[in-house]
Amino acid sequence: MENLSELWHGFTIAVTVPHLVLMVVGVLLGILVGVLPGLGAPNGVSLLLPLTFGMQPVSAIILLSSMYWGALFGGSVTSILFNIPGEPSSVATTFDGYPMARDGRPTTALATAFGSAAFGALIGVILITFLASWVAQVALAFGPAEYFAVYFLAFASFVGMGGAAPIKTIVALAIGFAIAAIGIDTVSGSVRLTMGIDELVKGVNFVVAVMGLFGIGELLVAVEEEFHARAVSSKIDWREVFRAVGRLPRHGVALLRSAAIGCWMGITPGGPTAASFMSYGIARRFSRRGRYFGTGEVEGIISPETADHAAGTSALLPMLSLGIPGSATAAVMMGGLMIWGLNPGPMLFVDQKDFVWGLIASMYVGNIVAVALVLLTVPVFAALMRIPFVVIAPLIVIICVVGAYSVSNSYLDVVMMLGFGIVGYLFKKLFYPLAPLVLAIVIGDKAEDAFRQSMLMSKGSLGIFFANKLVTCLIVAGIALLLLPLALQLARIWRKPASPATETTAHEKVII
Amino acid sequence: MISRRALELATAILTGSFGVTVVVSSLDNGIGWSSAGVEAGTFPFLTGIIIVLGSLYNLARGALPAATLANVPVAITPVELRRLAGLFVPAAIFVAAIPLAGMYVASSLYVFTVLAIPRHQSVPRALAMAAATALALYVVFERMFQVSLPHGALAAALGF
Repeated sequence: MENLSELWHGFTIAVTVPHLVLMVVGVLLGILVGVLPGLGAPNGVSLLLPLTFGMQPVSAIILLSSMYWGALFGGSVTSILFNIPGEPSSVATTFDGYPMARDGRPTTALATAFGSAAFGALIGVILITFLASWVAQVALAFGPAEYFAVYFLAFASFVGMGGAAPIKTIVALAIGFAIAAIGIDTVSGSVRLTMGIDELVKGVNFVVAVMGLFGIGELLVAVEEEFHARAVSSKIDWREVFRAVGRLPRHGVALLRSAAIGCWMGITPGGPTAASFMSYGIARRFSRRGRYFGTGEVEGIISPETADHAAGTSALLPMLSLGIPGSATAAVMMGGLMIWGLNPGPMLFVDQKDFVWGLIASMYVGNIVAVALVLLTVPVFAALMRIPFVVIAPLIVIICVVGAYSVSNSYLDVVMMLGFGIVGYLFKKLFYPLAPLVLAIVIGDKAEDAFRQSMLMSKGSLGIFFANKLVTCLIVAGIALLLLPLALQLARIWRKPASPATETTAHEKVII
Repeated sequence: MISRRALELATAILTGSFGVTVVVSSLDNGIGWSSAGVEAGTFPFLTGIIIVLGSLYNLARGALPAATLANVPVAITPVELRRLAGLFVPAAIFVAAIPLAGMYVASSLYVFTVLAIPRHQSVPRALAMAAATALALYVVFERMFQVSLPHGALAAALGF
């Protein structure tokens, strides 16, 4: 019950005129980046980041998180109306959303998507409300060894459950760690991996990496295929909106199952993209109308949308209570937290009650604002899609260049951003996952510090990771997740000797 | 035309050489155990080793005639390559021009060039968009958020 009174206090912070204005601005900007191909939630949020340095942390996080909700909704709009996913996490929504819209039911498709998305987000926020402070309380007793074990588990779950080729995930993770290590070592004070370039002493800022990887990289992928945005009608029939939302409870099982999948994938950093694909796949297998999936089935929209938003929301739980972001966007927000001088992790719940509960309360309000705004603005943003790509592309390039520069007024950052763009393009093209790379850049230093501190405590013995039940469980679970792909591979060979792994190509599509 | 295999190999070599650089560079910081605990180079050294091993695996997988790669023989067609270059080359020139021309001049020239030269837009419209870009950057950054964007060596020489 203490949570509820804290939450009430949070509402008094979140529901004030300036914060409501920030929510509206954030959601609208979010829908904008969600709709535009080449700009997604991670780089939308990192673009706004330099502009929040002068704000109160709670106002800043409300702005950024509202942008995140907006982007999640915006991605679905283009998926349904144009068959172009504005966000990687809304790819699965195109499978049934676009066919339904094409059949002359765009309002039904949009309303179903938004309704189930709002439900997913609500479950995610409720989970955070009741679980986050409890997790934080447990985590307060953590020592460095426990922390390292939790980080290890987070990274291992990318390998085991992320859906990408495991070795590619490991390479992406390790590159992220190496990039995080560039610059001054926080423990010994020595300079590492700068290769003689003085400007690298300050390290590589994650914003620069995100701008390149997600901004330029995505743009390069998008420019390859010249798409023509041929919209189905984007007019909203308000009575149909309420009818479609009213029909949602009939699909209660699908809603709850998808929300559960989403929450799980959000907390263990699998991310919204993997969650929506997994939820869609499971729905197709278990739904009675599974064979009609792909032709505009209602549950084919409900499942990915609910899971997407549940995962997006609950990704903030480990970020707040453990300091481990559950998605790429959450990683960027966590970077913001550190820049504002907050220390993400359990101490937030002790020292920064206003911040934490203000944010949690704003998640309830922000999602309502997002649903209302996205419904109201569908025609406007649909019209935006008719602007030719050749006009939008240079503008996005300029936004990324200016964004990279403004982080620390460094020209080298701009050049590096462009380099990250090439890496992002190659990685996307070859299905290397980008989220673990960003995650490792943001929390690589912390993971390393935790490892070195535990080594100091144990005088160099790895036994400290098996010193008590909790640490042992976490480490063993992490190792199990690391070995999961290998075990599955062996099981496949066992069952069908000498059959080539033909399913990997289909499998590869399921990546962030 | 670039095959999927060539792209896989190139990327594996790219990540692998980054790994080697990390390994070599981390040796300077010392690896292993000293009186002050784990030495600074240890962690990067290990990640470097993981990158190298993983890249070797990806390299081997890319080189082997595996069924997965045969499914997508072509990664980038000539048309796609032209579109890619059409976006990336002007962007790279734009970035290269920033130290000399400054952010405002470089970005408006960039917008004008990519819109007017391939005749996506008429010259007056491209000019208007280029001017609007520079103006928007100036208002948002220099005025509203007081972030000074680079003015460039040229502007400095002219006394701005």
